[in-house]
Amino acid sequence: MKRIFEHPPARPNPTGRKYWRSVGELNDTPEFRGWLEREFPAGAAEMEGDGLSRRNFMQLMGASLALAGFGLSGCRRPEAYLVPYSKAVEWTIPGKNVFYATNMPRRRGGMALVAATTEGRPIKLEGNSLHPASNGATDPFAQCALLDLYDPDRSRFFLHEGKIVEVNHFTAFMKTAVEAMNANGGDGVAILVEETLSPTRDRLRAELAKQFPKLTWAVYDPLQHFNEIDATRAAFGDGVRLLPRLDRADVVLALDSDFLFMDEGGIEATRDFTNRRRVAKATDSMNRLYVVENHYTITGGMADHRLRCPASQIGALAVAIAKKIGGGGPLAELAAAFPADAATRFQGQDEWLNGCVADLVAAKGKSLVLTGPRQPAAVHLLVQAINGALENIGHTLVAHSAPERGGAEPTSLSGLADLIDAKKVQTLFILGGNPAYNALANLDWANKQKTVPTVVRLGYHEDETSELAQWHVPMSHFLEHWGDVRAADGTYGVIQPMILPLFGGYSDLDVLNLLLGVDKNDRPDLVRATFNEISKGGSGQPELAWNAFLRDGFLSGSAMPEAETVNFNVGAAKGYLAQHHVDHPFPEALGDGMEVVLIADYKLDDGRYANNGWLQEMPHPITKMTWDNAALMSPATAKRLGINKQAFDVHFNGAFAEGNYTEADLITVETADGRKITAPVLVSPGHADNSISIALGYGRTHTGRVGRNTGVNAYPLRTAQNPYFTTGIKHSVPGGTYQLVVTQHHQAMEGRNLVREMPIETYRKEAGFNYEGGRSFVAMFGMDAHIPPNVSLYKNPPLDAQHQWGMAIDLNTCTGCNACVVACQSENNIPVVGKDQVMRGRNMQWIRIDRYYSTVENGDPNHDPTLDDDPQILTQPVTCHHCENAPCETVCPVNATIHTEEGLNAMAYNRCIGTRYCSNNCPYKVRRFNFFNYNERSIEPIEKGPWKGKSQAYLGPFGTNGMDEIKKLSKNPNVTVRMRGVMEKCTFCVQRIEEAKIGQLQVARDSANTKVPTDSFTTACAQVCPAGAIVFGNIADPESKVSKVKQQDRDYKMLEYLNVRPRLSYQARLRNPNPAMPGAKDIGMTLLGNPANNPEQSIHEPAGHDETSASGEIHKE
Amino acid sequence: MANIFPKWSNTLAPKAIVCGGLVATVLPLAMWYYFTPKYTRVGYMPTQPVPFQHSLHVQQLGLDCRYCHSYVEVSSHSNVPSTQTCMNCHTAIKGQSPKLQPVRDSWASGKPVEWVRIHRVPDYAYFNHSAHVNRGVSCVSCHGQINQMEVVWQDQPQGMAWCLTCHRAPENNLRPLSEITHLDWKPADLGKNPETGKDFTQLDIGTKLKDEWHVKPPVTCTACHR
Repeated sequence: MKRIFEHPPARPNPTGRKYWRSVGELNDTPEFRGWLEREFPAGAAEMEGDGLSRRNFMQLMGASLALAGFGLSGCRRPEAYLVPYSKAVEWTIPGKNVFYATNMPRRRGGMALVAATTEGRPIKLEGNSLHPASNGATDPFAQCALLDLYDPDRSRFFLHEGKIVEVNHFTAFMKTAVEAMNANGGDGVAILVEETLSPTRDRLRAELAKQFPKLTWAVYDPLQHFNEIDATRAAFGDGVRLLPRLDRADVVLALDSDFLFMDEGGIEATRDFTNRRRVAKATDSMNRLYVVENHYTITGGMADHRLRCPASQIGALAVAIAKKIGGGGPLAELAAAFPADAATRFQGQDEWLNGCVADLVAAKGKSLVLTGPRQPAAVHLLVQAINGALENIGHTLVAHSAPERGGAEPTSLSGLADLIDAKKVQTLFILGGNPAYNALANLDWANKQKTVPTVVRLGYHEDETSELAQWHVPMSHFLEHWGDVRAADGTYGVIQPMILPLFGGYSDLDVLNLLLGVDKNDRPDLVRATFNEISKGGSGQPELAWNAFLRDGFLSGSAMPEAETVNFNVGAAKGYLAQHHVDHPFPEALGDGMEVVLIADYKLDDGRYANNGWLQEMPHPITKMTWDNAALMSPATAKRLGINKQAFDVHFNGAFAEGNYTEADLITVETADGRKITAPVLVSPGHADNSISIALGYGRTHTGRVGRNTGVNAYPLRTAQNPYFTTGIKHSVPGGTYQLVVTQHHQAMEGRNLVREMPIETYRKEAGFNYEGGRSFVAMFGMDAHIPPNVSLYKNPPLDAQHQWGMAIDLNTCTGCNACVVACQSENNIPVVGKDQVMRGRNMQWIRIDRYYSTVENGDPNHDPTLDDDPQILTQPVTCHHCENAPCETVCPVNATIHTEEGLNAMAYNRCIGTRYCSNNCPYKVRRFNFFNYNERSIEPIEKGPWKGKSQAYLGPFGTNGMDEIKKLSKNPNVTVRMRGVMEKCTFCVQRIEEAKIGQLQVARDSANTKVPTDSFTTACAQVCPAGAIVFGNIADPESKVSKVKQQDRDYKMLEYLNVRPRLSYQARLRNPNPAMPGAKDIGMTLLGNPANNPEQSIHEPAGHDETSASGEIHKE
Repeated sequence: MANIFPKWSNTLAPKAIVCGGLVATVLPLAMWYYFTPKYTRVGYMPTQPVPFQHSLHVQQLGLDCRYCHSYVEVSSHSNVPSTQTCMNCHTAIKGQSPKLQPVRDSWASGKPVEWVRIHRVPDYAYFNHSAHVNRGVSCVSCHGQINQMEVVWQDQPQGMAWCLTCHRAPENNLRPLSEITHLDWKPADLGKNPETGKDFTQLDIGTKLKDEWHVKPPVTCTACHR
């Protein structure tokens, strides 16, 4: 049937009854549209007073009746619109992502990123695999930067004296300020910036200095690596930067250095280090890592040998090591400058130190000693001298010339504070940073800032510093403005805007440019001028060079060259020591005294990410705590202080299996100069005795809804004299408890050899040997030694498609850094549920990283493993295993979870009725249930009433309804946003799989070439992993990376004896112990049992015939 | 003792059963008919802000679908043309037509023309145009004879059952790639099938292409639900 439709003639002004005839016409009346667009209460108010006549009202009511009566289709089917661009946007194809290279400014240099944008909004950040420092990987902070962009609580308004003003008030103020500065040469004006390593900002600074010679320029970052910078400058001269080359190091000693995450090179260090631990066959070698530290770090978790040592004693330990290395030369000379007693403090650890030193010396030129930012410059000098004596400089520790930055040495924050005291600062611009919260306590910055007549603050949130400023200017996100940055190795990179500033914010460059008299604009003029300078005109083709720069995100070949030969100048080093540390190079022996160590946080950094829900809810890599910080201490110390009762419940009390929290006792710590804080205690196995560690960055008072009232602010303990650790601590127990949420009580899977490790020597003996059924040694641990025959009651689906998806996770390279957890959260629209819900075990992350402590059974039945001094750590990411015999599928009453022919365990959200049978039947406990509408109602802190302090709760009907508009922008349009009552879980990023398959169909067209090219895409977790531990691909393709990894001898499946046939397999962890070390025979042997007692057992005998003898003790808090 | 139940109550039970049975039969049937996409969607023909005639542009002027719906082969979303696309021609042709006033307004103001959406897949289903038009499924299979429509209406129900009928038997809709946007194409246009000696039928063509191209449309949930 052919329908002929005559269009109505061009519409006359609607009158009379015709007004209601069709939906389309109705929609064109402005009154009706206006009425529709309003929310009901506002609309109701409008009707009463706002000049709407009775006639209009009747018309509208009539219209809605007409809708209900005649246009039934309209009733069922709300009218929707297709809104194309009026002018097509360059590169943009509706429905497809556009990728732009950009950089994230970081403390130690930019991180190269690629931002996926969909219809103009960035939705995912990945690493830039072209960039020399990147591998396409990122870390949790880079992943979470996206959520910061769409933070509903970010600063939206220009404020003057706390009141919202228009932007032109601010620009007018700036004009008068500039006029005044022109008159007096910038006298009394100071600019305080964060360190961003931006060449353009350095250029603007030089221009400002030219125009306003009396201007003060100060740089501040609470966690900048000052000590290392000072030490390098003292020993090697100006303009030198030392970068570790972990890919060249066979033996690494980390002295209080978390180089795999917070310190040194970040993702580059992780990649280089783990590349040396990739063992595919028996002949492969592996590096060896010694770690000395006070609290467990990610780096400590990777250690082959780990020594617990209070942070304040690391310096003395370095002296002991220096003495043991011996020889003459600069090292001996420098070591002699330290107190003689230092080396004698470690009598008990002689065997450990001797073994370690012998190993380092044997690997001369291929060893590396690192220390971290917590240690004073004296220790850095010593460590550099040690590296010199070990002939590592130029090999594993490479000197680069630092980029020329121009200008005089910037003023420090304390220098600026002195100027303020001297009343020499009348106008202070604070561009970024948050000194009122995180400045050293001895500066009393908040009160100092109040004495400055005019403070202009550029801030991302209205925070503690803004509160005390006359002007607050909303800051733009790095995804919203132009900028540039240098990477750690000096490579010059661009920061490109993905979207115009959502709330009209300014960047620091914009504000500096205003001072130079140039109005804010959206053009890249400033960066381009710098680029032309650095690229020297782009080799005659400036346009081409600039476009290549924007495309790649960096200027290739702009890395700083390796310095020719650098020498450790011992005279200068001793001079530096004499000048700065003449009395106290490092603290006295601790004895029975206590120290407090302030640590940079894995989640909030210095506090800047406090309002980021993904980071707050991400379980801490070691303690698995969310939403809080705590005073960490060793089990023995907690016992000695008599606050073990509650704290130990975390580990033992069976009742806690029901929830994820512990009622932690509080402890008050007071430094010698009377600064004190009170924090809840969390017992942390592997922590040094007599030492308390507290993470910085918590306890924010002025921030958004997410970050308020989480944890305890430890900055009040931080002074210029003791920036990271303080000895001579007094402590008291004020009574009372605080609820800490620790996620590793639920989903416990104990005593079943879920995680497997062995020393590399054992692996070498076993590699290539096949047991019954062609199974490897690793696959035969525990219950898996007697796996039942492969039968199933159910008929398996035919897994006959050409793509069969599978995943492998290498436990030997996984550091447990959590990047996969948040990458998944970003990719898959996983909501944040708040502390209160996590406490009830309802956190939604699809990947969890299980952290196991392993200790050796000593045969004593009363042995308490949590009191063990030196547990080792293993981490294991667990996500949906996509079992071929999936137990979840057989129990779903509505077929909402089914198997695809490609081996995916699929979840059809729109079918799910929420019985949760599947979750009950899942042996891996990887399914997550939406108990509430986490996307619809936001998480808010409770600030009054009986539940006060139970911060960040889901308030149900008492919470704000509806998702913030800005939050909707962060969602991945290719993944359904789930609602209440729906089960969800890892899908192996099915949206990426389908995209790849459809992409191949576009290539195949009229051919049969529909197979996705090998390893042409991967899941979000595998893509982000800086260690390359996660591999995903087509296991039906023998050439794929995942197929090859699964062929390795170390491959095993979790709970294989259940015969669920998981598609996810693990590669066992290897340790590389040094036989000369104390306790070396036990390292990596917790599951194998001790071969010294049972020499035949591990050699071609299926381990774990008998569970009691083989499984040893492995426990999980 | 008086009767508690009056006499009419004797027939109550059978009456209730019959009535209940009727309701139980009629109600689902009615719902099945009146609330399924076939009834609710097919024939939906809203008035558009601009009386654009596909029949004029395709049949009379011979424009290819992909001139306006330019990304249909590369993207999941088949784009509605931007105002710019319209203005490519309409600056020169019918430049003053009052019917095109919204287009000119849009061009001047930069505010897009808001076309009323006709074909609508729910949010939890992810349809991909490029996967279909690159593999032998013509526009006409889902959208009907749009080339002949003066005003576009919904021709097919586009519910899940409807999708699955084709995904289970794609041979009923496959055609050579050169004919994807030729909405009037018939299998018989290829002439006679040498094997049967009769005109080519859709089944002949479809089965051949399905085998040659290895067309295996997915019928699992993840094909569309993610």
